[in-house]
Amino acid sequence: MKVRSLMVVSAVLFIIAFGLVSCQKKAVIQPDPGQQQQQQKDLTQQKDQEKVTEKQLDGKVDSVNVMDKGAQYAESKESMFSDILFDYDKYDVHEKYKQTLQSVSTWMSKNTAARLSLEGHCDERGTNEYNLALGDRRAKAVKDYLVSLGVASGRIDVISFGEEKPVCREQTEDCWSKNRRAHFTVLVKVGK
Amino acid sequence: MGHGAWRNVVFYAVLVLTFQVLLFTAVEAKVYIDITSPSAKKLPIAIYDLQGAQGKEIADIIRDDLTFTGLFICIDKASYIEPISQKFNQQNWKPLGIEAVVKGTMTAAQGLSVDIAVYDVFEGKEMLSKQYQSSKDLLRQLAHNISNDIYKVFTNQTGMFRTKIAFVAEDDREKGIYVMDWDGQRVRKLGLKGSLVLAPHWSADGTKIVYSSERGRQWGIYLLDFGKMTERRIFASKGTNMAGSFLPTGDAITLSSTKDGTPDIYVLSLKDETMKKLTFTQGIEVSPAVSPDGSQIAFVSDRGGSPQIYMMRADGSDIRRVTFEGSYNTSPAWSPAGDRIVFSCRRGKNQICIVKPDGSALVQLTESGNNEDPSFSPEGRYITFSSDRDGTKGIYIMRANGETQKKVSPPGLRSNAPTWSPN
Repeated sequence: MKVRSLMVVSAVLFIIAFGLVSCQKKAVIQPDPGQQQQQQKDLTQQKDQEKVTEKQLDGKVDSVNVMDKGAQYAESKESMFSDILFDYDKYDVHEKYKQTLQSVSTWMSKNTAARLSLEGHCDERGTNEYNLALGDRRAKAVKDYLVSLGVASGRIDVISFGEEKPVCREQTEDCWSKNRRAHFTVLVKVGK
Repeated sequence: MGHGAWRNVVFYAVLVLTFQVLLFTAVEAKVYIDITSPSAKKLPIAIYDLQGAQGKEIADIIRDDLTFTGLFICIDKASYIEPISQKFNQQNWKPLGIEAVVKGTMTAAQGLSVDIAVYDVFEGKEMLSKQYQSSKDLLRQLAHNISNDIYKVFTNQTGMFRTKIAFVAEDDREKGIYVMDWDGQRVRKLGLKGSLVLAPHWSADGTKIVYSSERGRQWGIYLLDFGKMTERRIFASKGTNMAGSFLPTGDAITLSSTKDGTPDIYVLSLKDETMKKLTFTQGIEVSPAVSPDGSQIAFVSDRGGSPQIYMMRADGSDIRRVTFEGSYNTSPAWSPAGDRIVFSCRRGKNQICIVKPDGSALVQLTESGNNEDPSFSPEGRYITFSSDRDGTKGIYIMRANGETQKKVSPPGLRSNAPTWSPN
C-alpha cells in the first residue's frame, strides 16, 4: 500500500516535472505572447509570418477648404513709416516713437480710405511659438497706441510673423534689434 | 489506497504545482535587458549579413536600430567563428562573450521574403523564427519590423523603429510640412501650399495632424487627415492662432488664439467647433500641451514677467508654475508616461531641459547651439528636437537622458519643429 502510493506520488511528480521543463522551454522561446503561432511550428513546420505593409503617406494633400476670396486690399509698394523697434523680449512702445505714431495717426485721418496692417516681428533668439505671440503683442501695442490717438480700431489689422520674416540674418545685436519691430503696411483698396 | 495516502498525494501534487507555477512565472518574466535600469549592461549581439542580394542592407538597418537604443552592442562579424549556413551552436559564441545571434536569408522575387532566426547563446535556444514578406519598396520598413521583434524579445517592450517624425522645412524660401522615418530616411514633403507653417501635432492614433499656417495674411489652424490625404481649415480669426496638442480622445484640440485681444488658451471641439476659453490674462499664453491622460495642460505664460512653464487642469482650474530657473522656458511637451515635461530652456542659448510636472528634478540635456521644439518618442526613451549647432537648423534625436545626440534630417534642408508620431 505504502509503496504503491509512493509510486503514484513519484509518477505525478515526474509528469509535473516534465511539464515544468516544457513550460520553461516555451516561456524562454516565446517571451512574446503574440507569437503563439510559433508553438505550432514544431508540429506543422509552419513558421510565423508577417506581411509588412505601410499606409501611404506619399502623394499630394488636397486642400478641402476654398481659400478666402482674393484680398480686397493690396499692399502698397513701400512702407511710408519707419519701423517701431522693441527691447529684447519686451512689447511696450518706447517714448521715442510717439512722434512717429502721431504722424501715422495724422496721415490716417487725411487718407480716410486707407487701412493699416501692423506686422509684429521678433529676433531669432526666441522659440517660434512664443515669438509669434510676442510679435502679436508688439503689433497690438502699437495699434492700441494709434487707437488712443483716434484712429478707428477697425482700420488697423494686426498680424504676427514672429521670427519668420527677418530683415537681416546676422547673429549680431545690431541685426537682432532691427528684427524686433512693428512694421507698417498701408493697404490700398483695389475693389472686389 | 487509504485516505491518508491520497491526502499525501494531493499534498505533494499541490506543492509541486505551486513550485512549478512560481518557476513558470519567474521564467516567463525573464527580461534580458531591463530598460528601466539606468546602468543596464549592453547586450552583445551578433547580426549576420543576411544571405541574399540585399542582405547586408537589411542587416545594417537592424544594427543601426539596435545600436541607437544604447541597449545592444553589435559585435563585428570578423570575430564570428560559425559560418552563417552552419547550424547554430552555443559553443561557437560563448567564448566570444556574445549573448544573442541573429541569422537570416532573404529572397527578392515578386516581393521581398526574409526568414529570421534569433538565438539565445546562454540557453542555447531559438527565441524567434519568423518570415517577413513585403513589396520591394518596403525594404526599410521590413527591416524595422525585424528590429521591433528582436527588441521585443530582449526587452519585452514595444520598439519604435516604425515610427515617423513630422516637421517643418523650408526649400526655396517656402515652408511646408514634411514627414520622415524616425531615423531620417525617406523624407517626404506633403504637397501643401507654400506659406509659413508652425509645428505639427499628431492625434493619439497617428491618423491626423493639426498645425498652424499663415495664408493670405491670416493664421489659420489646419487638420490633415492621412487616411483621406485631405487638409481642412478648422479655425481662423484675425490675429494669431496657433495649434496646440490634441486631447487624447481625438475629438478636440488645444490652441492659442488672439481672437479676444491677447494670446489665450482654448479648447476647440472638432465635433461641433465650439470653443472653451481656459486662460484670461492680458499677457501671453501659448503652447498648450495636454498630458497623456488628458487631465492636465502644460503651457507657457509670461504672467510672472518672463515666459515660464505653467500647468493647469484640463478645465483651466488650479494653475501653478512649474519652472523657476532661468528667464525663458518655452515649448513644453509631455513624456508618454506623464512623469516628465521636456521644454526649451534658455541658458545663454536655447537648450533642451526636462523636469517633473511638480517642478523638481530639473536636468539640462543639450549644450551646443540653439536647441528647441522637443518631442518624446511614443515609448518615452527618446526625444527629437531642432538644433542649429552645425550652422543650419535641422532635426536631431537623442536618448531621453541626453545621450547619443545626432542629426537625422538631410544636410542643408532647413528644418525645425519636429514631433514624433505616436505609432
